[in-house]
Amino acid sequence: MALAVPTRKAPTGTPDDAPVFSVDGLWKVFGPKAARIPEDPELAALPAAELRERTGCTAAVRDVGFDVRKGEVFVVMGLSGSGKSTLVRCLTRLIEPTTGSIAIDGEDVRAMDRARLRELRRHRAAMVFQHFGLLPHRTVLDNIAYGLEIQGVGRAERRERAADFVAKVGLEGLEQRRPSQLSGGQRQRVGLARALAVDPEVLLFDEPFSALDPLIRRDMQEEVVRLHREEGRTMVFITHDLSEALKLGDRIALMRDGRIVQLGTPEEIVGSPADDYVRAFVRDVPREQVMTVRSAMRAASAQETEDGPAVSPDATVSEAIEAVARTGSPARVMDHGRCLGVVDHERLLGVVAGTEPGAIAGAEQGAVAGSEQYAVAGTEQGAVDGAGRNAAAATGQDIAAGTEPGAVTGTEQAKGVV
Amino acid sequence: MATLTATAPKAKLPGLLRHRAVGKLLLLAAVAAVLVPLAHGRWASGAWPHALTVDLSKPLASASNWVIDNRDSHPLFLYFFGYVSNAVVLSVRAVYLVLLAAGWAGVTAAAALLAWRAAGARLALGTAAAFLACGLLGMWVPTMQTLALMVVAVLVSVLLGALLGLAAGLSDRTFRALRPVLDTMQVLPAFAYLLPVVLVFGIGVPAAVLATVVYAAPPMARLTALGLRGADKEVLEAVESLGTTARQRLVTARLPLARREMLLGLNQTIMMALSMAVIASVIGAGGLGDRVYQALASVDVGAALAAGIPIVLLAVVLDRVTGAAGAEGERPGGRAGWAYAAVATVAVALAARLAGRLEWPGAWTVPIAEPVNRAVDWMTAHLYSGVPYVGGTADWAAHFTTWILDPVRAGLQWLPWWSVLLVVAALAWLIGTWRTALTAVLAMAATGVLGVWKPSLDTLSQVLAAVAVTLVLGFATGIAAARSDRFERLLRPVLDVFQTMPQFVYLIPVVALFGVGRAPAVAAAVVYALPAVVRITAQGLRQVDPAALESARSLGATSAQQLRQVQLPLARPALLLAVNQGVVLVLAVVIIGGLVGGGALGYDVVFGLAQGDLATGLVAGAAIVCLGLMLDRVTQPTERRAKKGA
Repeated sequence: MALAVPTRKAPTGTPDDAPVFSVDGLWKVFGPKAARIPEDPELAALPAAELRERTGCTAAVRDVGFDVRKGEVFVVMGLSGSGKSTLVRCLTRLIEPTTGSIAIDGEDVRAMDRARLRELRRHRAAMVFQHFGLLPHRTVLDNIAYGLEIQGVGRAERRERAADFVAKVGLEGLEQRRPSQLSGGQRQRVGLARALAVDPEVLLFDEPFSALDPLIRRDMQEEVVRLHREEGRTMVFITHDLSEALKLGDRIALMRDGRIVQLGTPEEIVGSPADDYVRAFVRDVPREQVMTVRSAMRAASAQETEDGPAVSPDATVSEAIEAVARTGSPARVMDHGRCLGVVDHERLLGVVAGTEPGAIAGAEQGAVAGSEQYAVAGTEQGAVDGAGRNAAAATGQDIAAGTEPGAVTGTEQAKGVV
Repeated sequence: MATLTATAPKAKLPGLLRHRAVGKLLLLAAVAAVLVPLAHGRWASGAWPHALTVDLSKPLASASNWVIDNRDSHPLFLYFFGYVSNAVVLSVRAVYLVLLAAGWAGVTAAAALLAWRAAGARLALGTAAAFLACGLLGMWVPTMQTLALMVVAVLVSVLLGALLGLAAGLSDRTFRALRPVLDTMQVLPAFAYLLPVVLVFGIGVPAAVLATVVYAAPPMARLTALGLRGADKEVLEAVESLGTTARQRLVTARLPLARREMLLGLNQTIMMALSMAVIASVIGAGGLGDRVYQALASVDVGAALAAGIPIVLLAVVLDRVTGAAGAEGERPGGRAGWAYAAVATVAVALAARLAGRLEWPGAWTVPIAEPVNRAVDWMTAHLYSGVPYVGGTADWAAHFTTWILDPVRAGLQWLPWWSVLLVVAALAWLIGTWRTALTAVLAMAATGVLGVWKPSLDTLSQVLAAVAVTLVLGFATGIAAARSDRFERLLRPVLDVFQTMPQFVYLIPVVALFGVGRAPAVAAAVVYALPAVVRITAQGLRQVDPAALESARSLGATSAQQLRQVQLPLARPALLLAVNQGVVLVLAVVIIGGLVGGGALGYDVVFGLAQGDLATGLVAGAAIVCLGLMLDRVTQPTERRAKKGA
């Protein structure tokens, strides 16, 4: 899994309390008499292969629950066959769930009648598809206006409104083309504009960029980041690409065999994998680009709080490495003029090398509580030892990357943050 | 070394196949060992035992008499068939009058402009030329009669087909129920459809139109259903995710997505309707087909050709125009273009009317019947027989009859009846499943039960001879076309034209060359089936995985080795399909060959129609259906055929 530098977007501001989507105990079982599987605890516990053998059923989604907060990008990630695409289709009942509850803004989706469900699909949740799902016999403009047409918006008005979105996704001049005359990236821009044109509350993305070339994919990811920054729309994003998940997600739900094995921020997933599966998954992630200094800092001694470069607690470790390498002294983690702690080269190397067990565990609470109680005592010794051993190996590639005069990595963000 | 590597997997596969085949044959032999002595002991005779036949002629005759007696009084006829019949007559009459009122200039202009809108300027010119040629040959009125019948039949077929297709496309259950029926209808010879409609409607235009509808609607239904079902699932899902109602989905997504298939269905329906409208001259369709029929009855090749050429021109024009309409692409001008076309048509029609030139001017006809007949006479005198060394065409026909057709027929009829069934069972089972084998055996046995065992075997012998010739020629040409691009380029337009011509037309040249009898019927069948076989073979060989071919080449296989060891085995499904198509198409024409002295079942149908002896005709028709079913099942590989090749 080659992970190209995931240019992390800034975390979304404090999420609202009321969730947009609230999913609980959701099951989707395909096969004969599917409803009995979730009800029977013995069957429900069977592994996929055995379940298929005994009942002829496939459980695509098993007992899944999560909340999507307003304004966040919620990523569901997993390999193919993990049930993530089924899950996102259950949200608007494109696939009818077997059991469980889904609520949008507190309203029960499973109890909706057909008219109400259409209303939900027309105005509240719009979806972007892996293979675009465009109508080949319509022009770009009419494809984008299609959602409005379905809602009964008049021809002149919907074309006018669609034209705004043509510009928004950068397709000016291509309005009269047919989808077959566009490149893959352009087609997905049409798909995106079509979803945006109905002004939905939530955007659902089903592996939208998997079918695109790597360079185009990066453009499109940045497009999504930009749209999110500009509009702050809630997004549910399905992907099998870890770097994409880390780059876009405020929170990530990692799925395996229909279950969520871990749900957390990118930092939590990378920093403290819940099990061996997740650990294997994130092993090759460049940790310094995901982990923040908040989780890497230690308590500052009295004189350390006074000088040294300042970094924000949400800055990535790689940004801190650059600051430390440039000045040669530990960096202070400053939050609104208050020094929360410091990161020195040993700490930073520890993150890069992944030899800092437990540091993360306290990160959330510790950081919230304040720098004084930040628990480092127990692990300090071991961590430093580990870091020291691995430092030799790590130094060559990782440190150099950030400090070489010509190296671009991380410099841009560092400028923005420091 | 190279050959070793290449043959190793191949040697294994047929080995396995042989094992399974041997198993099937052994089982069949065991069953036969029990049943045959029993059957033989009880009904020992070479032909189908008389005790096992059911004489249907009496009940059928009484049924047909009942229909004739009650046609004017029974409520079923008064309130249903009567209305259907009247509606058909009225609408054909109305279309015919409109065509006459537009005059030859108006019709030609309308056709050309329609072609221009649908397919561009070149085809518009071709269309105009074709219509003018019909007039020049003195066939304007019959052409309009055929066209009027076609218009009504095609409209009804398309409507019916689209509705059935819509139902089958949207509902799985309807699809499962409809599909085997449509599949079977497509393998039955056109002749089989004639008699049931005649029984109900009597000979005349309504029967002709309805037979045409029944024959031509299946492709439309089938392709509409396939188009609706084949739509990109993700597009439909995307459309649904935007909150469409079922109706919106159908109108804005499903139907437009199925456009290509539906236009292909329209094309096939039109071609089949033309083919049937011509054949239906036997049951009173009138028009061009009738002229050919009358001319063939008196072996007047010149007159037959004069009516046959317009049929061919009509077929080619209709096929190209509807084909081009399906091939995508906006014509310039949009709606305004259609308006201009309509205005121009009306203007031309009015101008012709004011000038008093509605009918095709008699002075403008070119009588070709006379010179053609002179040429045929010359041929008869010089090429028919006694040409030194090569012999004459009639000699060939006679030789073919004595040396091939007669022995095959004699052999088939000499075989004990149960052994014929056994052979059918073995063939069908080897290539398909026990289900297909059972259907085939039952169908074959049904011909015996109907009491037409002998004529059925006669027809079968002609089919076998024609299929053998077709396959030898077709495979050879197909292989050549697959190996040489230049040859294929030369061949393509020829195949295109030959595949669009209605079956009936093929009878004209063979009568000119070979006279009447069984040999000409076989020759017509070969010519009719050949293009499809060549095309399927060539395509199948060309679609062989290039990687497999490349790897064989990289191992140093000679081109003969490549063909034998890679291309032919990998193209096996295509070759089997070619055999199946060949058999189905040959049967259709061998039956029609009854019109030119082919005898057997086809003759029974024609005789039944001509003498008003519907019972004989109906029995023969049922036997044709059985024979068609049997031949299709015997040659049908396990997976269903994709679509009709012709």
